[in-house]
Amino acid sequence: MEKETLRILEMLNQLSLTQTEKDEVITFCNNRENDLKTLDAIDTANVERMVHVMPIMTVVREDVVSQPFTREALQAGAPETDEGYWCVPRVVE
Amino acid sequence: MRYETVIGLEVHVELATQSKIFCSCSAHSYGADPNSHVCPACCGMPGMLPVVNKRVVDFGMKAGMMLNCHINRTTTFDKKSYYYPDLPAAYQTTQWFAPVAVNGLVEIETSKGKKNVRIKQIHMEEDAGKLVHDIREDTTHVDFNRTSVPLIEIVSQPDLSSAEEVEAYLERLKTLLRYAKVAECEMAHGTMRCDVNLSVRPEGSDKLGVRTEMKNMNSIEAIKRAIEYETARHIDAIENGTEVLVQETRRWDDIKGKSFAMRSKETAGDYRYFPDPNVMPVVIDDEWYDGIKATLPEFPEVKRERYTEEYGLSEYDAEQITKSIALCECFEGAYAVCKSAKDAANWMISEVMSILNVRKMTYDMLTLDGAVLGELIMLVTDGKVGRANAKKILSAMFDDSTIKPAEYAEKNGFIVSNDTSLIEKVAREVVAADPKAVSDYKSGKEKALMSLFGKCMKELKGNCDPQTLRTVLINIVNSL
Repeated sequence: MEKETLRILEMLNQLSLTQTEKDEVITFCNNRENDLKTLDAIDTANVERMVHVMPIMTVVREDVVSQPFTREALQAGAPETDEGYWCVPRVVE
Repeated sequence: MRYETVIGLEVHVELATQSKIFCSCSAHSYGADPNSHVCPACCGMPGMLPVVNKRVVDFGMKAGMMLNCHINRTTTFDKKSYYYPDLPAAYQTTQWFAPVAVNGLVEIETSKGKKNVRIKQIHMEEDAGKLVHDIREDTTHVDFNRTSVPLIEIVSQPDLSSAEEVEAYLERLKTLLRYAKVAECEMAHGTMRCDVNLSVRPEGSDKLGVRTEMKNMNSIEAIKRAIEYETARHIDAIENGTEVLVQETRRWDDIKGKSFAMRSKETAGDYRYFPDPNVMPVVIDDEWYDGIKATLPEFPEVKRERYTEEYGLSEYDAEQITKSIALCECFEGAYAVCKSAKDAANWMISEVMSILNVRKMTYDMLTLDGAVLGELIMLVTDGKVGRANAKKILSAMFDDSTIKPAEYAEKNGFIVSNDTSLIEKVAREVVAADPKAVSDYKSGKEKALMSLFGKCMKELKGNCDPQTLRTVLINIVNSL
């Protein structure tokens, strides 16, 4: 993390940090980057990828159709609808 | 300098499930009112959690097995950042880190012989919704009926090098997936869609050129035209410097016969893939895996060989019937009843396939019960119904699946008459009305007898044994 990068992040996130806070953020980020470099140095070529931190698996459902919601109910909070469609600002010219 | 084209395909296939991939809304909304098959989950409303449709995993696995892939026994879903109103959650739930199937192989055959195309991976994902831009000028209208309809994306390695190979590859995918009954694969219906990644390099070089991706092709013919155009554009740019090739996504305009730049090509980094914390890993145990494996169909070429060896069909007949699993099932059902593979094959090729063609139906749209076709064939073989009337019955069977051929023949007066006195009476009347045909026949014109025969058959409405009629007719004419 360099001062210039932090300046851009500050601007994008509309933040205004004190000099002390800036120093803390830069130190924190650089320490984490060093941690990642340490992890990167470990040879994991033959290690199976961990898919989840817990020995857990998804539940699945049977392929059965149900339609418990009406369009009217789903669109009740929509800013704008028209002929059953949701309306959004035009996305093509 | 000679160039070679390097092509890899990304093929999206809509899976033939009843419900969507992560919710229980119907996956079939073609022609339905907008947003009539939606729920808070597929509308991306906050707090809704996806629940995986088991059949999607079944079909993903089955597709992988058909394409000789390794099945990942623990497969996971990931979020692909995607900011566009046709996916309201602002991400697509797809598979990136552990797709359901990897490292497959598909054999294709072209005029240059056989070739293997490697499959990089098959991943399961949700489709996006539909945007309509032409209702009002100031807004885009959004229909989420198609959102979360299950897809698999089949990603090939860049092993294809011509439009002919691409066509053979796509046809092979269609055949295999239809045999497995996991998808309709009809490009015209949008249930199979294809993106073409293409680059050009000097022949013999092992370095890949600048790659462009083409979208918006809705037929194999359009894909072939797009490949030919894009190959020529790349070569022209390299040789004549007409433009600078850049890695980008292009849209194919089939009417103009040209491709147009759409956007700079995204890379995996742009999508910021990360594991979806809302869907836990899908773990495929041995029972699940073996259960799917047990449902794999006989491959087309194995079936073809069995039809020639076991049933004695010609290579041509076997090839025609194995074009579609629906044809195979109908044929095998008919054979089981009529016990004549040759008759069953003849009826399939001459009559059933011809009706499908006339009605502009694909072979896979055939729903005719093979056993019922077998009953019809038996009626003809046993001389109970004439072939012309049997064709009428078959046509009626296409319109009404409850028709029983014997009952229908009885009801409509299609049963062949054994009443020789009636045949003789009709034959005498026809002969008396056409003395010229009689004299022509007697002077050696064999065709004249066929004319009389046809008239008699018409009078008898086809309900007569042809051999009996012919004998009666010859006897009458000769006695004059």
